[in-house]
Amino acid sequence: MAGPLVSAAMKAQHAASGPEVAERRGQIVLEDISRVFAADAIAVDRVNLVIHPGEFFTLLGPSGCGKTTLLRMIAGFETPDSGRILVSGREMQAVPAHHRPVNTVFQSYALFPHLSVAENVGFGLRMRRIARAERRTRTRRIMELLQIDAFAGRNPAQLSGGQRQRVALARALVNEPEVVLLDEPLSALDAKLRAELQVELMRMQKRLGMTFIFVTHDQHEALVMSDRIGVMQRGRLLQVGPVLDVYERPSSVFVAEFLGLSNIWPVTPLPGGLIETPLGRLAIGAPDPARGTAMIRPEKIWMYGEGGAPAGRANLLGGIVREAIYMGASTQYRVELENGAPLLVYDTNNQAAERSWRPGEAVTCELKPENIVLIGA
Amino acid sequence: MMGISLGKSTRRSLLAMSLPVYVLLYAPLLLIAIFSFAPPPLARGQTFYWYADLLHSPEVIAAFRRSLTLAIGSSVLGTALGTLMGFGLYRYRDRRARGFASALPSLIIYTPIIMPSLVFGISELIFFSFIHGATGLLGAGLLTMGIAHVTFEAPFVALVVFARLSGLDPNMFEASHDLYADARQSFLHLTVPVIRPAIIGGFLLAFTLSIDDFTISFFTAGPGSTTLPIYIYSAVARKGVSPDINALATLMIATVIGTGLLQYAFTRNRTRKLVARPGD
Repeated sequence: MAGPLVSAAMKAQHAASGPEVAERRGQIVLEDISRVFAADAIAVDRVNLVIHPGEFFTLLGPSGCGKTTLLRMIAGFETPDSGRILVSGREMQAVPAHHRPVNTVFQSYALFPHLSVAENVGFGLRMRRIARAERRTRTRRIMELLQIDAFAGRNPAQLSGGQRQRVALARALVNEPEVVLLDEPLSALDAKLRAELQVELMRMQKRLGMTFIFVTHDQHEALVMSDRIGVMQRGRLLQVGPVLDVYERPSSVFVAEFLGLSNIWPVTPLPGGLIETPLGRLAIGAPDPARGTAMIRPEKIWMYGEGGAPAGRANLLGGIVREAIYMGASTQYRVELENGAPLLVYDTNNQAAERSWRPGEAVTCELKPENIVLIGA
Repeated sequence: MMGISLGKSTRRSLLAMSLPVYVLLYAPLLLIAIFSFAPPPLARGQTFYWYADLLHSPEVIAAFRRSLTLAIGSSVLGTALGTLMGFGLYRYRDRRARGFASALPSLIIYTPIIMPSLVFGISELIFFSFIHGATGLLGAGLLTMGIAHVTFEAPFVALVVFARLSGLDPNMFEASHDLYADARQSFLHLTVPVIRPAIIGGFLLAFTLSIDDFTISFFTAGPGSTTLPIYIYSAVARKGVSPDINALATLMIATVIGTGLLQYAFTRNRTRKLVARPGD
């Protein structure tokens, strides 16, 4: 028998398990997760993802892309057809929803109508048979933190949308879960309240240090709130990365278009750092013959009036403004280039009237080589 | 309250159409009530003569007792079973089902409800006599009536409970599990309180249905299990409508209306609170 070997291995394992488990607290690992509703309806398609402890991670995608199904599988409301889910290093396969160290904030809030605000918030603690005194202290503390202590005795039906949202959040946070799952929690609120709660959610998350997994179809919301985002389409996770990376260097046309407006063209690489595009030949920073598509964000294009363009620069294209949509902070222009190709340009309205162009005016657009991004397809 | 303003002629024609309906609906009931207070020719001034007469008839008292026992017993049991049925059909329905499969819960509930009570009664009769013939158990009597009543009441309760559950946010139940409630805790701390008005309403509905049921009772009754409706039927068949029957009918009308009002009060009071969902 290899007694010493076994015990040495066990000791090593034991030594490793202490700090390692602590490090994994709040970590989510998805391994090859699939969920198939019907032969022609694959909700989640072989998703692999690691979400780090204490991270604000957003799953972004259009409705029906599988992001909510993914969240529901982490919560334990749905079972993956294949793959493994690990929360804080523990396999979740056999763990029912009511034993998982996660709490969910639902899109519809799902508050209990027969209970007061305080009773709603304390529900999880009560179900876990936490002593009354501790329950009361924790409930009060989280209600104060979320500024809903004034409504403690009210019924959910007597609250406004924003207040209900706070109750739903408090009801999850009071349990001090390792992971908080948020399923489009702000989508029912008006724009102003939404912006307020976005900031508040971020602060709350940083302050409590819990892992937040946030599901939304709103790219703006995703950009504002997240540390990292994962973009989903038709059940597949297309790209995962820090907000800036995904926005600036999308890996596919879908991601580029989903995260904001962009100018996208099929391109052919030419020797000498050039590409052939529908706009004409353009110089680019980093040529890659394998990539047949190029993109430039409209805000990355510089626009000059008649004779204002600096001489000797690359990628200067003349055109005529066909449409100008004033949006307050910026103006969105549709420029028709000399060869007839359209170009979308954002310009910041930072200098009052002289920098605003009207339809029919001639302009020169500068597409700096480093601002042109090559993408796969 | 928002009202739709109607033209004068529209209002008039609507009144002309609806008035006869109301008259036909309520005049007979009113008439019976009025007749029940008519004193006999030889005892002028005794408004409650026939009511007193009823109290002195041991047959009526016994039938009344039996009806009440049957109604309370069967509706307690019918409510318990119907609640579980409504809950079960709601909880374990296939949310992604389309077409026939998605209508299955409603079909299960509605089929017994829309079944003509004559058919229902006869089939119960055949069923019970078959069992009795084969095993000697379940001889026709209050027990067979009770079973039959429970059977037809349960779907009504299930309907009320199912409707209430369907009107609620389905995420609520998931939220309870998310907040550490196991199936039992979720049922006790969320489902039961939330559907309590529906359970009470269902119970009162079952009670009303049971107390005035004639057809099914008639087929499942045995010797010595005459309930009030059966008593009334046989009395009328024997000697025609007598004034004491008017009094009895009036009492039944009052009971049913009373129960109906009670049910309304229970379901209405909390409806607003319970259907309130985010976004309103």
